[in-house]
Parts: sequence; C-alpha cells; structure tokens
Amino acid sequence: MPQPLVGSFPYDKVKGTAVPKPTRTASEQGYVSEITKGIAVTMTHFFKNTRAMVRGERPDPVVDPMSEGITTLEYPDQKRPYPERFRGVHRLTHRDDGSPRCVACLCCSTACPAQCIYIEAGEYGGKDKRHGYERYPVKFVIDELRCIFCGYCVEACPCDAIRMDTGVHPVPYDSRDQFIYGKNMLLAMASQAGKQKHENPRAEPPDADYGPIERLAGHH
Amino acid sequence: MPSIKLDGKEIPFEKGETIITAAHKAGVEIPHYCWHPGLSVAANCRMCLVEIDATPTRRQLVLDVLAWDEKKQDYVPGRKPKLEPACQVECIDGLVVKSDTSPNVSDARKHVQEFLLLNHPVDCPICDQAGECKLQDYWLSEDKQPKRKTEEILHKPKAVEFGDTIVYDAERCIVCTRCVRFMDEIAKDPVLDKRERGNLGEIFVSPGRKLEGHYTMMVDEVCPVGALTTKDFRFKARVWFLKKVPSICPGCATGCNTWLDYDARTGEVPRLRPRENLAVNKYWMCDDGILTHRRVQEKRTLHAYVGKGKARKEVSPIAALKAAAQLIKDAPGKVAIILSAQRSTEDNFALAYLAKKHLDVKELFLARVGDWDGDDILRDNDANPNVRGAQRGAGDTSLSPLSELAEPVAGQQISVLIALGGEADISDATTVGALGRAKLIAIAANHGPLTENAEVILPAASFAEQDGSFINRQGTEQRFSAGPEPAGDSLAGWDILARLARQLGKPIDWKSFLDVRAAMKAALPSPAAANPESAAAAAPAE
Repeated sequence: MPQPLVGSFPYDKVKGTAVPKPTRTASEQGYVSEITKGIAVTMTHFFKNTRAMVRGERPDPVVDPMSEGITTLEYPDQKRPYPERFRGVHRLTHRDDGSPRCVACLCCSTACPAQCIYIEAGEYGGKDKRHGYERYPVKFVIDELRCIFCGYCVEACPCDAIRMDTGVHPVPYDSRDQFIYGKNMLLAMASQAGKQKHENPRAEPPDADYGPIERLAGHH
Repeated sequence: MPSIKLDGKEIPFEKGETIITAAHKAGVEIPHYCWHPGLSVAANCRMCLVEIDATPTRRQLVLDVLAWDEKKQDYVPGRKPKLEPACQVECIDGLVVKSDTSPNVSDARKHVQEFLLLNHPVDCPICDQAGECKLQDYWLSEDKQPKRKTEEILHKPKAVEFGDTIVYDAERCIVCTRCVRFMDEIAKDPVLDKRERGNLGEIFVSPGRKLEGHYTMMVDEVCPVGALTTKDFRFKARVWFLKKVPSICPGCATGCNTWLDYDARTGEVPRLRPRENLAVNKYWMCDDGILTHRRVQEKRTLHAYVGKGKARKEVSPIAALKAAAQLIKDAPGKVAIILSAQRSTEDNFALAYLAKKHLDVKELFLARVGDWDGDDILRDNDANPNVRGAQRGAGDTSLSPLSELAEPVAGQQISVLIALGGEADISDATTVGALGRAKLIAIAANHGPLTENAEVILPAASFAEQDGSFINRQGTEQRFSAGPEPAGDSLAGWDILARLARQLGKPIDWKSFLDVRAAMKAALPSPAAANPESAAAAAPAE
C-alpha cells in the first residue's frame, strides 16, 4: 500500500549514511582570494583566446574537440561544412545540356513515406532528340515541411536525378509556402562541391557519348 | 469429365481445349505472352513450354543432348524430353503434364525470358506498363539474373504513332502478335502486321493506313508489355497508385464489364479496362467505352446551384434541397418526373418511388441521349446503358419520351419537373421551350441540356462514385461498385432523393445502398427477365 507523500513520510525508518557538512578554511570563508582565483582562470582563457583569434588559430571542433584554444564556432557567421553524406535539402541533377535528369518515373514519390513529392510527367516533343526515349517532369514539387529527410527518394531514384548532398539543412522561413520547392528551385541547387550534373553512366540520345546500333537504314 | 494431370493436380477439360486453356479455366497459370484466351493460338513466344509424359497413344519426343557434368568437368551425352507449347497441345484424357515441377521447363523459361530481354531497353522508369508488365513478372518469377549481354542493345523506332490513339515502341515489343491477331480476328480490320525476323522483328501499320476504328485501344490492353500504349493514359499515372473496382461501362446498352482504375488520393479515374465476362463482352471493349472514364471529370456538376441563366449562383447543398422542396410544395399535383437512361436502376427507382408514393405523380418521362453507330462486335446503337433499368425502376411501366412534354407544360398540367441526369437528346425547339417554361430540378452528375434549363441543380455522384446497377440489352442486371469518393458536394442519386423527401416532410428511411436495394425488391414485382448478379458473379479476378 503506497504511503502518502506529505506529512507522514517515515524519515525515521529510512536507512542511510549522513553526509558531513563541508568544512571551510578561513581563506575560503573570506571570499576575496577565491574570487581572485576564479577571475584568474577566466582571464587566462580570455587572453589565450584573444591571442588565438589575433593569430587566426581555431582548431576544428569536431575533429579536434579536446585541444586548447577556441573550440566553438560563431554560428551563423561561421559554419562548419557538413559531412559528405549528410542529408540536406534536395536538389535535381542536370544532364549535359542542363535539362533535368529526372524522367518523372515517380519512384521517389512512391518510396516517400511522408508523401511530400508531387510530380507531373510530360513528354519531349516530336522533334526533340529525346522523343520516345525520355519523359520529363513538367512539375516537380517537394514539400520540405512534410519531408522527414529519410533519403528514400535518393535510394529509389533509378537515374541519379534526385540527391540530398546540398549540405543545406532544413532552413527556417517566414511562411509555409516558402517550404514548397518547385522544379526550378531544385534544379538551381548544387552539391557541397558545387556540382550540378548527374553521375548516371547510362548514355541516352542527347548525351555526347551515346553511340547506338541503329536498325538497318531505310526502314523508317 | 475427362481430365489431365498438371503438376499432380487434376484439371478437367472439354474436348478440343488446349492445356493452357484448361489450366486457365481451373485458375492455374502457365507463364505465357502470346496466348490470349480470346485470340487464336500463335505459339511464338515459347514461354508456355511444358513437359508432357508419354501416354499409350502419344509418345514423348526425347532429344539427345550434351549435359555438363560437374564431377567429370566435361560434357557427357544425355537425354532430355522435348518441351511442347501448352497453348498448342490439345488435352487428352489422362495426359500427365509437368509445368512448375519440371527443372527442364524452368530452365527453358529462364532462357526464353533472357532472350526476350536481350534487346529490351529496360526503361521501366518511363514505361507505363511498369507494375503490370509480364516481362517484369516473369523476370522475377523465372529469371532473376542480371543482364549478361554487355553490348549496346539494338535500337529500334520509339514512340511511333499508330493512329490517333496508340503509340508504339518497337524496342519494348516482344513481337507476340497479340495486337495483330486482335485487329484481324476481333476488330475485323487487319491493319497491323509483323515484319522482319529475329532481333529486327517489329509491328507495323499497313502502308497508307493508320490504326483506326472503334477498337484501337484494345491493342494496348492485349499487349503484355509496354510496346503499345494509349495516348489517353500515357504518362497519366503509375499503375501501382491505382485501385480497382468492378464496374460497368456506361457507354451503350451492351453494358461491357470493366475494371474501374482510380486514384484514391485524388479521386481521378484515369482509365477503364475490360473485365472478362463471356456472356456480355468476352474480353473486349470499344474505344468510346474506354473513354467514358472522362465523364467522371468532364463537365461535372460539383456544386449545388439555384437560379437560371445569369441569376444562377452556387449555394450549399442543403439550401438547394430546400429550394427544390419549396418548388415542389408550391405546385401540388403539377409535378412530373424525368427518369434517366444514363443513371442506375436504383436512382431511377428512388425517383419513381418518391414521385408515386409521396407526390402523386402520373406523368413519367424518360431522358435519353441520341444513338451512336453500333456494330456487330460489341457496340449497340443505343448509347444509353440503362433504358430497361429506368423502366424497371418505374415498375415496368412505359415511359413517355421528352417530346411529349410540351403539351402538358403548355396546358399548365405540369409546372415542376424533377429530372435525373443532365444529359438528354433534345432536338426540337418545343421541348426546349417546355423545359424552359417549367421549373426544372436536375439531379445530375454532368452538365447537359437538362441542367442548362434547370432552376435547381443538385450534384449527383457519377457512375464511378456510387454503387448501382444497369440492365443491359440482354436484360441482364449488372452491378457496379463505387470507386473514388464522390467529387465536390455530390452524393449518390438515391441519397439526394431521400434527403429531398426529408425536406418535403415525407421521410424515406434509406441509409445505405442496400436499403435501396431492399426497398426496390419489396416494391417491384420480380420479373422473369432480370437475373441479378449472374453476369457480375461470372467475372474472375483478373
């Protein structure tokens, strides 16, 4: 049966060891010397850091966290690059000619557990070299508010068209509609290294290294 | 009944049936591409090869082969039964057939699959067939090995337009000739043919012609791969997002059985596919029937409206119901109803029930759309799916055509009309004038001449969004099921009528579709002609 907490707690029945009160020396009790010691520690670090700042020494807080000197960053004026495999906001990769690599297969939006990707597919026209080979996204919209940054879309993409290697973490905005990233916004982003091209080895008609074995001439 | 033994399972057959037909009827699938239950046998894909044991009257062909021996690390002479196509071998009583259980058959399927994929572009991400493609299915069940060919594939024409409806991709084509046989045997227009051999084989349209007629879109349906796609469905949706419900084509009096594919997230119906029913449409549908899916989106009455012409404004459904009830109350004894040959039997019954029981209506009219060009294959001249259903809903009474409306309206015997459906074929000016003079309440899913002249429009669900039934030209009652949720403010037709009755102070206690069915069963004497569910029940899963 639970005991009531207030009023009748059985202090006399609790077993334990009494903790002795701390004893203080006279200098400790006198405050001034102790405060001087404390200020000395602070001032030591102040001059050390000032010297490091003047000299421009700043060890990396992740790689070398235990070193002497400044181990903090003045975010957001200073930023540390994210690791290479950090999943940031999405980008759409480009082909050689700058058009989106995406073929609007909807594999990413199928894999997406948050259902934040909306795509409308279109077809390259009759005179385009890609006619028949490729379709492309007329609309490609990602709701970055809804996105949970799991990276499944990147895993699902068969064309290396969508990537999360921008190194940009989810950004705070003023209003919700700013989180809706359209196709042009996604195409404008680059990787941390500044790359925008895809790395899909498969060559297709608009690519320079596309060398097909065509059917016998004169048939079509 | 004679039977064969397929993988140890007894399968009955009728005389003349092939092994694959008997297995198909028994629900056992033997992998195949070129065979189709409704088409002649071509036996060119070699996917349905099976091993057939010798019987007293039929000897087994055996081949001398060289088989690899692991122990000797060399080829040794061996013997192997010659496999035969299950689509071409006729059943004999007691025939012992091995399909999935024979290692020789598995081996053959694997190699056939690899050959078919040799020059395949594997562009599944951009192919509309992905998700329901036999190449994908059989690669997963029979092959499961990466492509061994390292050379560039042979490139063939892509996105060739075969006509106004169909696009052909020769790279994806396995030249099974199902489309060729369909156009030849079912559509009776042998406009497609195959040319070249081996790797170069492809389908082409006869020079100087294009793929046209009423049955072009079926070639996409019979195509087991993504070679033939319809412009209508091209890149509209990925098939794995679509759900399906059994439905009936609302195009004509034939009442072809369909699968209604819909996207539950958006409520869109991107396509209809034929559903097997040997008594009605076999395996086929016509182009116009397939395109009836557009009626779910096009010209929809999504909201309730009150007023005519420029005075028309959108109101809440309850306000529109109240306005309609007020119109009816203001004209006691002067109400007539217009049933619809476009809407389900249940909706027609609901309107006739409300009119006869509570409004004392004597004049029953029937709105129907004009005829289209029928043929001997599937299409009926009558483009109304449910003329008999409308009559049945009204208690098998005869319904007057809309042209007889002018006289009683002019004579002030009718001043309020309750019409089901928005579409009607109204050609003569007097009928249009009569519709304009009377106060018309339209319960419609699509805009048409009736909603144009309506004082009150109540939005009804389309055929895709509500349960119901049509009675086709054979007198068969066929049920269809609700797919997506009703769009906008729309409700099932019978539901609107039940709510209208409540507004009139004469409640009809229908909560669900089954209540309407029960009420219909109780109110109408069961005719000998209607045999419900016979057709719908005969439909297999896929």
